[in-house]
Amino acid sequence: MSTKEQKKRIELLQGTLDLLILRTLRLGPAHGHAVAKAIEFNSDEVLQVEQGSLYPALHRLIKRGWISVEGGTSENNRRAKFYRLTTKGRRQLAVETGKWEKLAGAIARILRPAAHEGKS
Amino acid sequence: MTRRKRMLEDLNQDIRDHIETETQENVERGLSPEEAHCAAMRKFGNVTRVAEETRAVWSSIWIEQLLQDVSYGVRALRKNPGFAMVIVLTLALGIGANTAIFSVVRGVVLAPLPYPQPDRLVMVWENRPNVKTLSTSYPDFLDWQRNARSFGQMAALTSRSYDLTSPGTPQHLDGMEISSGFLATLGVKPAMGHDFTPAEDLPHGTPAVLISDRLWRDRFASSPQALGQSILLDGAEYTVLGVLPPGFRFLADADVYTPLAQGEPLLYGDRTIHAIVGIARLKPGVSIGEAAGEMSAVQENLDRLYPAADRNLGTNIVPLKQEIVGDVGGTLRLLLGAVGIVLLIACANVANLLLVRSAARTREFAIRTALGASRGRMVRQLLTESVLLAMTGGVLGLMVAKLGVSLMFAEFPQSLPRAESIGVNLPVLFFAFGISLVVGIAFGLVPALKSSHADVQASLKSGDRGTTRAHPRSQSALVIVQMALTLVLLAGAGLLLRTIGDLRKVDPGFNTRHVITFKVGLSPSLTKTASSIRIAYQQLLDRIRQVPGVQAADFTNIVPLSEEDNGGPFWVGSQQSTSMQEAPHALYFETGPDYLQTMEIPLLRGRFFTPADTPDSEPVVVINSVLARTYFRDQDPVGQTITVAHWHTARVIGVVGNVKHWGLGDPGTYNPNQIYISFYQLSDEWIPAFARALSVAVRTPLDVATIMPAVKNVVYGAGKDQPVYNVRTMQEIVSESMSTQRLPMVLLAVFAALALLLASVGIYGVISYSVTQRLREIAVRMALGAEKRQVFQMVIGQGLRMAVVGLVLGAAAALILTRLLTSFSHLLYGVGASDPVTFASISLMLTVVAVVACYIPARRAARVDPMVALRYE
Repeated sequence: MSTKEQKKRIELLQGTLDLLILRTLRLGPAHGHAVAKAIEFNSDEVLQVEQGSLYPALHRLIKRGWISVEGGTSENNRRAKFYRLTTKGRRQLAVETGKWEKLAGAIARILRPAAHEGKS
Repeated sequence: MTRRKRMLEDLNQDIRDHIETETQENVERGLSPEEAHCAAMRKFGNVTRVAEETRAVWSSIWIEQLLQDVSYGVRALRKNPGFAMVIVLTLALGIGANTAIFSVVRGVVLAPLPYPQPDRLVMVWENRPNVKTLSTSYPDFLDWQRNARSFGQMAALTSRSYDLTSPGTPQHLDGMEISSGFLATLGVKPAMGHDFTPAEDLPHGTPAVLISDRLWRDRFASSPQALGQSILLDGAEYTVLGVLPPGFRFLADADVYTPLAQGEPLLYGDRTIHAIVGIARLKPGVSIGEAAGEMSAVQENLDRLYPAADRNLGTNIVPLKQEIVGDVGGTLRLLLGAVGIVLLIACANVANLLLVRSAARTREFAIRTALGASRGRMVRQLLTESVLLAMTGGVLGLMVAKLGVSLMFAEFPQSLPRAESIGVNLPVLFFAFGISLVVGIAFGLVPALKSSHADVQASLKSGDRGTTRAHPRSQSALVIVQMALTLVLLAGAGLLLRTIGDLRKVDPGFNTRHVITFKVGLSPSLTKTASSIRIAYQQLLDRIRQVPGVQAADFTNIVPLSEEDNGGPFWVGSQQSTSMQEAPHALYFETGPDYLQTMEIPLLRGRFFTPADTPDSEPVVVINSVLARTYFRDQDPVGQTITVAHWHTARVIGVVGNVKHWGLGDPGTYNPNQIYISFYQLSDEWIPAFARALSVAVRTPLDVATIMPAVKNVVYGAGKDQPVYNVRTMQEIVSESMSTQRLPMVLLAVFAALALLLASVGIYGVISYSVTQRLREIAVRMALGAEKRQVFQMVIGQGLRMAVVGLVLGAAAALILTRLLTSFSHLLYGVGASDPVTFASISLMLTVVAVVACYIPARRAARVDPMVALRYE
């Protein structure tokens, strides 16, 4: 029973991380470290991702064909892999974003009346 | 390079780069290099885990884990080869025995017959009151064929032997006479050439023959030129019309097939002679019941038209498969059940061993749990190990099965129908694989679940070698179940053994020892006329009698207990008062004058035949005691007359003892009347037909290998083209007549022995383990003054208690299950299903085995030196 619940939570987190990666790559190809930094920076450092967990997520997205990988050099002239959003990934991002907004909306609708109650 | 490999190739480099970049940034922010690196590492997380998880994205994780489990399992088992070997061997025996029996069941019962739409094929028999299946007469068959609408095709056949004299060396061949629709009914086409046409299937049609693939290879070197050539059968030329497909077989092996209508007109022209068998293919949509209804109407019409021949005859339609498989199907299912029990016992043993082993591994499991292995993961590991064992056992088991099946064929060459379709084939492989998998999971699950429950704290704290007490209650339960199951098998085997013993004690009515029977194909040059045949046989027998070692010799058309049949109607006096079907029937032996003496059948009254009984003297018969008692009551039959249908009214000259022709256990309900006729007195027209059926019986104290070369010499001396074949001792025929009981008896005995062995190993293992566990307790007892004898008795008592509980449960189960044996009416003879002698002796046997198995550990316990044992602990 407890393991099942745990799994669901992990999946939710994974899904969220995937969404964030896709969103970040929409601005243009980037290498792993830059993606991590971008997520951290763009979320005003609220979302502290353990940077390592980025890699399984990146590979998962490659496997699904949502992002592609190519060789290149980073800003400081290092050899680095660049990750790029594919067309399929772009479409997926739209879908995922829509889903996420729906979910967020739903949660907000559930939470708001509760907040009213709290006030009154 | 696979995508997976390409993607993962630079992973470690990527991670290193990532961390370096982060470190660089940290340094730029003003941290010292060490602090910068530490912060980067902290932020990144566990490098190894990240790498592992990333790799996992590209692999099917369960396969990797499975491979891991397997390799770990192999290592664990190799560390303990004795343990693994005992388990694998136990399972090999269990799975092997099951696979062997399954391959037989599959070949005989389950596999469809090798003809298109085989379930539409039926046998069409006649029947009369008290006789359920009766061959039909050819004229009746032709009327059926004309009138019945339920069948797409209908055909007739009868087996016949031929002597082939050209091309090649003379040889006896088994063959069939078939009507022209035979192959079409079965849905088989010749591999070469063509089937008979109705034009050949006529009394004076062109002699034509279809030959088997085997004969075609042997005699024509597989040449296509064989078609149209002629072969010489029984002195007559037949043109080869076609060659049958390889492996074609119907009911019996046959090499030549000739048109039935060209056969013996005496046999096939007479409505009262039932010499052929009908087969038919049901029309689509017609059920057996509908066909049976129509056929009885057709037969009723024949009854009206030909009352003298057909009054009281009915028809009996039997699905072909049921006809072929017969009683063996039930016996085989019984054996499948028995062998399943052996497997259960084997599994119980293995489960027991695994329980002991898992107890020894408690510490290992505790450590693994402490290191974070989940319970499911550990159960999976243990199951992988047990399935690994089972699979290894299964592979060995396949070899055991192959060996077992070939041993069975060697012991029972003729006892199984459809033997040609038995073998280790794909379905059998699937069965062996499936059963191994199921067994591996079944016996592995309980120990796996039990040991994964282990209390980490306790086992780690205890700090000893990890040998905690195994699961004594599960172990005893397993031993009790084994004992009970073994008793059930022993009961089955015991009852059949008693049956065979009783059958062997039955007096067959003649002396079965020192008799050899064989057939001789007389040279066609000697068999041109009836009188030359009579002379040829007389001379042949005279030559055989002169062979040193031959005490007596003569021939008979049917050999007792060989299933050969030659029944026909008779009536007392000369006046036929009823129809042929209502007249009493008797089994006819056509023999020579020395037959009685050769078989040592007792002469009760009057005399037997002499050479003076010839076609020119008064026709005489000898009757058996049953016929004398039934039809002559208080009168002396000698001197009275009996009319033999198709022959003469003959004088009864003697009464002889009854011969158990239909089997030693025969209750005497089918055709118990026996009439002997001198072969030499048969009418000229019948002589050739009966001559073909004759077997020579020789009484000699010498064995087959010694006497037969000399006998063959004198036979060949009289003509090189005279094959001697079908050489069998009477003892062999007797054994074969008991194969219905002997096959299940031998197999059940083997299974019971196997079960006994496994169960004794089981009880030995458990008791001996328990003694090891209780060494300290025993030492304390002895230190406190317990006698060696008391310790000994305590251990034996522990084993005996399990054995007795098992016995009681087993006896209860056996009493129910042995009823199954009686439901197969042909299996038991002379003993009841709950025969107290059998049950008492097997219970005693099992108890003794249990005590013996406990003896060694008990003695070890009694020899414990308390000082040594206590100091050691």
